[in-house]
Amino acid sequence: MRDEIRERMARSDPMHSGVPTEPTTDESSRELLERIMSTPTKEQPVKDAAPRRVWTIGVAAVAALVLAIAGGLALTGGDETPPLADAPPLELTAGGEDLMASCIAFSPADLERVAEVAFEGTVTAVDGNTITMAVDTWFRGSEEASQVILNAPQGMEALIGGIPFEVGGQYLISAQDGTVNYCGFSGESTPDLRAGFEAAFPQG
Amino acid sequence: MSSESDRRQRFEAIADEVFEPLQRYLRRRTRPADAEDALAEVMLTVWRRLDDAPSGVALPWCYGIARRALANQRRGMRRHLRLVEKIGSQPQQTSTPDTAEQGPDAELAAALDSLSDDDREVLRLWAWEQLDPREMAPVLDLSVNAATLRLSRARKRLAEAIAGQDHSPAGHRSVEGT
Repeated sequence: MRDEIRERMARSDPMHSGVPTEPTTDESSRELLERIMSTPTKEQPVKDAAPRRVWTIGVAAVAALVLAIAGGLALTGGDETPPLADAPPLELTAGGEDLMASCIAFSPADLERVAEVAFEGTVTAVDGNTITMAVDTWFRGSEEASQVILNAPQGMEALIGGIPFEVGGQYLISAQDGTVNYCGFSGESTPDLRAGFEAAFPQG
Repeated sequence: MSSESDRRQRFEAIADEVFEPLQRYLRRRTRPADAEDALAEVMLTVWRRLDDAPSGVALPWCYGIARRALANQRRGMRRHLRLVEKIGSQPQQTSTPDTAEQGPDAELAAALDSLSDDDREVLRLWAWEQLDPREMAPVLDLSVNAATLRLSRARKRLAEAIAGQDHSPAGHRSVEGT
């Protein structure tokens, strides 16, 4: 009907068919695709596939995990943190990783792969380098703990991984090897992120 | 293993179908360097989620992945800017374009700018990616009916915005439901 508008828009297409793109047969495209095909598809997300500078991204989701060796998932019975009546709090390290790195596109399947623990919780205290959260819902792991302590690096407590933790705020957190995953795998609780968590961890 | 080679074959077939259209899609919506990053992310996601790929045409499905990759990039950039401001450094001028370069049709560009992001996106998918509502639906996470409705309203609003420019140079934003 009013295809005049469609045509007019098509004429202003900055990437109209006359603008060249790289076919898959180009050497650099081949290299990218080959590297992608050499990455594991299960369990371990990408690590060594690094075509161009591009790959700072792909690896970023993983970097959050790898950087976290300092952490270690500690189901402590309470060294400095007093245990709650029901179960000891879960302690996680909130590593301040490279915020410049962008992340892999979020998918529930990826979240499922990179999360040993996943929960929704409300921040009850932000104190120095420690953020205390009351768990509202466990999606995976440590179901018995009702409290989680995030130990933040110095000076990063207010803005770990770009997530502005505030008392009373509700957050969705996933973690692996004792360290919080960023890159879209943790964040303020929004309907979108919650739907992602629910899809990754279907509840019975 | 044969399943491994099947997998590679399937991925390569999808790559042949989507690799160049994805470059256009991304470069229409973001800067070349970011488009390059996003392309690698999208192809990696396709590889890892190959089992979820539709059996027929894969391009709309891939556009959906690309849309989320761009949204992730923008979120990452916003987080970074918040941190930069928090630390008190000089905020960087990043000019992440929401709209790519619009070409010489200034009137059309201004009319598009007066629309909402959702309207603009549905119009781009229609005119630039040449998708019909059935193909747009999975890209936008909408039902076909909802995509049809959104396109029809967006077309109407664009037409109104163009017409409105004849009278008011700044353009105007029409109210839904008229």
